Amino acid sequence: MSQAIYQIVDKLPEKNLTTRMLGALDSIVPGEWKNIVGFENTIKLVTGAKDQARIQKIGERAIALYNDKTQGYQTGLWLYQTVDSVQGLGGMASFLNKIGSSVGFLSFLQSITPSPETTQAVDFGVKLVTEIVAFCKINGIPGDGIGDFVESLADCRHEALMRMAALICVDGVLPLGPHFMDKALSMLDSSGVSGLAQNKAFGKISSMIPGGSTEKQLGYIKEGVTGVQGWMKSFVDTKQLTTESVTEKLRGVVSNVGSKADWIAAAVDVSTNYFEHTGTQTVARSLISRAAAEV
Amino acid sequence: MTVVKRISFSATLIGLLLVSAGCRQEPSRWEAAQKATEGKKTSVSQDAVDGSIFNQFFPPQGDGYDIVFKQEKSGFAQAALEQNGKEIAVFSVFDTASDPDAKTKFAESTEQVDGYPVVIEEKSLSALVGDRYQVQVRSTDPAFGKSMRAEWLTKFNLKRIAEIEN
Repeated sequence: MSQAIYQIVDKLPEKNLTTRMLGALDSIVPGEWKNIVGFENTIKLVTGAKDQARIQKIGERAIALYNDKTQGYQTGLWLYQTVDSVQGLGGMASFLNKIGSSVGFLSFLQSITPSPETTQAVDFGVKLVTEIVAFCKINGIPGDGIGDFVESLADCRHEALMRMAALICVDGVLPLGPHFMDKALSMLDSSGVSGLAQNKAFGKISSMIPGGSTEKQLGYIKEGVTGVQGWMKSFVDTKQLTTESVTEKLRGVVSNVGSKADWIAAAVDVSTNYFEHTGTQTVARSLISRAAAEV
Repeated sequence: MTVVKRISFSATLIGLLLVSAGCRQEPSRWEAAQKATEGKKTSVSQDAVDGSIFNQFFPPQGDGYDIVFKQEKSGFAQAALEQNGKEIAVFSVFDTASDPDAKTKFAESTEQVDGYPVVIEEKSLSALVGDRYQVQVRSTDPAFGKSMRAEWLTKFNLKRIAEIEN
C-alpha cells in the first residue's frame, strides 16, 4: 500500500532546493505558486474552511477518495513521483535538500555530467506526456486527452502553471535553447523508437502512456509535443525567455556551478524534484476541492 | 530486594515510563479515516450517476464570466467560474448516493432556494436537489460574496438536476 495522502502532503518541504528553484522562477508566473504544505493547511487554503469539524469531514472524504484507486488521484501522484525519481545521485540530492543550501556543489558536480541533447529531448517529451496523462487521471478525462489538455492550458493556474513554467525553463530552454520545441520534435524523430525504449523515465512510466507499443507511444509523445507547441512558443515569446535569462534566474539557486546553461540544467535535474513537489500539490488541491463538494 | 534496590528499581521504572510516554506519538487526526478506507475502492457508489450528465445543467457562461470545467468523475462534476481569467468561485454537482452522510445537514435547513433546502457553510452555499443531488457554489475570491452565491445557485438548472434518474 502506498503512503497515506495526508502524510505525503504533511511531509512536503517548506524549503529546499526545489522550492528555491521554483521561487527563482516565480517572476515568470508571478503570484501563481504558493508553496502550500501540510494536509490541514491545504484544506484551509483551498476551501477557505476554518471550522475544525468541517475540516475533519473534508479531510476524511479526501482520504477516502485518494485511497480509492479507481478515482485516479493515486495514479496521478504516482506518475509525478515516478518521472521525477529517475534522476541519479538521489542520495546526494536529498542530502543537499536537507541542508537546504548549495554547499558542496563543487564536489558534487564532479560526479555529474550533462546528458546528450537527444536524451534531454526525449526526457522533455516523456515529462510532457506524464503531465498530460496525470491531468487526465486526476480530472477524469477519458481517452488520450491531448485535446482537452491543450485546451486547459489557457486556464492553467497555481502550481500546475508553475510546473509548466519550470518544464519549459528547466527541461526545455536551459538544455535545448529557446527553440526547444522544434529541436525536441526533430530529435524525437531522429532517436526514434530505440531512443525512446532506452530512456529511463519512459521505461518507468511506459505502462501508463497510451499506445500499446513503443512505436505508437512515440507517436503519442510527438502528438503531445505538437499539441502544446503553440501555447509553449507563445509562453516563451511573451515571457521573453532565453537561455541567458533562465540561466540568470537559476544561477543563485545552484551557485558554484558556473554559468554554463547545460551544467546548471544538469545540477537542477539531479538536485530538485519539482514535478513531484508541485504534482503532489496539484493532486491535493483537486482531491480536497472535490471532497469539499462531497461532504 | 533491599529498600535501596527497590527505590532504585521503582525510579528506573518510572523513568522508563516517562521516557516512553514522551516518545509516544500522538495519533494523527486522519489515522482512523486512513485505516477505514485503505485499499478500498468504495468511495463512489455503483449507483452514482455519471458526472458528464451534470455538465449541461451548470450555469451558462457569458456577460464576462467563463465556466471552466475542471473535474468529471462518476457522481461528480466541478467547474470554476472565472472573470477576466481569474477564478472567483467553484461550482459542483454531487450525487450523494456515494456519501449519504452529506444529506444529513439539510434536515436542519431553514432556508430554501427555488423550493430546495439550502445550507450555508462558511464560504459555500449548497442545495439538496431531488433529495439526492448536492449542488454547491463555493467562493474562492472575497469579491464573490453571499448574495452572488445565492444568485449563481439559481442559474443552475436545478429542476432538471432534480429529475435526473439513475
